[in-house]
Amino acid sequence: MNEDTSVPFPEFWNWVQALPISEHIGFTWWFPLLESLHVLGVGLVVGSILMVDLRLLGKTALSIPASRMTRDMIRWTWGAFVLAVITGTGLFMTRASAYIENPAFQIKLLLLVLAGANMAWFQFRTLRGVEQWDTATRPPQAARIAGAASLLLWIGVIFAGRWVGHII
Amino acid sequence: MKESVAAWLSGSQAQETAVFLLGNVPGLPPIAQSLHILGIAVVMSSTVMIHLRILGLAAPSQQISEMIGRLMPWTWWALLVNAITGLLFVVGRPNRYFFNPVFGWKFMCLVPAVAIALVIYRMNRREPGYWEHTAARVHSARAMAVVSLLLWIGVVLAGRWIAYTDYLYFLYE
Repeated sequence: MNEDTSVPFPEFWNWVQALPISEHIGFTWWFPLLESLHVLGVGLVVGSILMVDLRLLGKTALSIPASRMTRDMIRWTWGAFVLAVITGTGLFMTRASAYIENPAFQIKLLLLVLAGANMAWFQFRTLRGVEQWDTATRPPQAARIAGAASLLLWIGVIFAGRWVGHII
Repeated sequence: MKESVAAWLSGSQAQETAVFLLGNVPGLPPIAQSLHILGIAVVMSSTVMIHLRILGLAAPSQQISEMIGRLMPWTWWALLVNAITGLLFVVGRPNRYFFNPVFGWKFMCLVPAVAIALVIYRMNRREPGYWEHTAARVHSARAMAVVSLLLWIGVVLAGRWIAYTDYLYFLYE
């Protein structure tokens, strides 16, 4: 079924997509249901992150301290992210071996990992000294870079994600 | 009405142009769709955050009035992006959309959702803090927030289901 040996664990992906739940999603209205909920989750994840990014770039919400903006958004971002991951996993399972070797899907995963690493770096390094610049309308360079990187990476995730369906 | 709009678009110069662009500009369909999803992200997050704030569920330290003034201009711009990117497909294949019941549902959700957003925005602009000044206004703002949240969810879900009407077999019985 899957001749391409460049993808690791080909048997595993074939096994995943042969699961009864995968076939059920793939052949019923579950697929569009999960896909529409995925768009909802992605919309809230990316939109809420953009608000924080624009604050870090010193573009919007300058009257609100940066740390308060991140704190206000984080619960909703994570909640929507969980929705996107669960629904995305369900969609992935229906054609796991095709998605795993789809270049758009691979790029999307890479961008997600980079976005996560950027977020972790910001959270555990840059945000440590936030008291120094919390109300600054122009946050320090490290925070601005984090905001710009996040903005570009998440826009990239949306483009790569939409491209997945055009390649498969 | 929709029959005449679809008929008028079919074979028109506008349709030919849209079909040509979608078929000949490399990557245009996924680019336009990605921009559409990006627009959805901005619309959803700006309106949803305001509604959640009105309902007391999010961003307790931010002011309702300030949030409306700050976030809703983004809503309008994003809606414009969505209108342009969406029209590209509607004009290109009018029959696919105008005779699709789910497309109709999407707009049955979208029109009142935008109307509610406009009311919230305009009143707050005329009188900053409008939705917080009296108990009656607080209650009506909360009611609008609940209805609007459901409508926006409906817009997104219906929007994605336009491509999947085959599954809604009851529509064809």
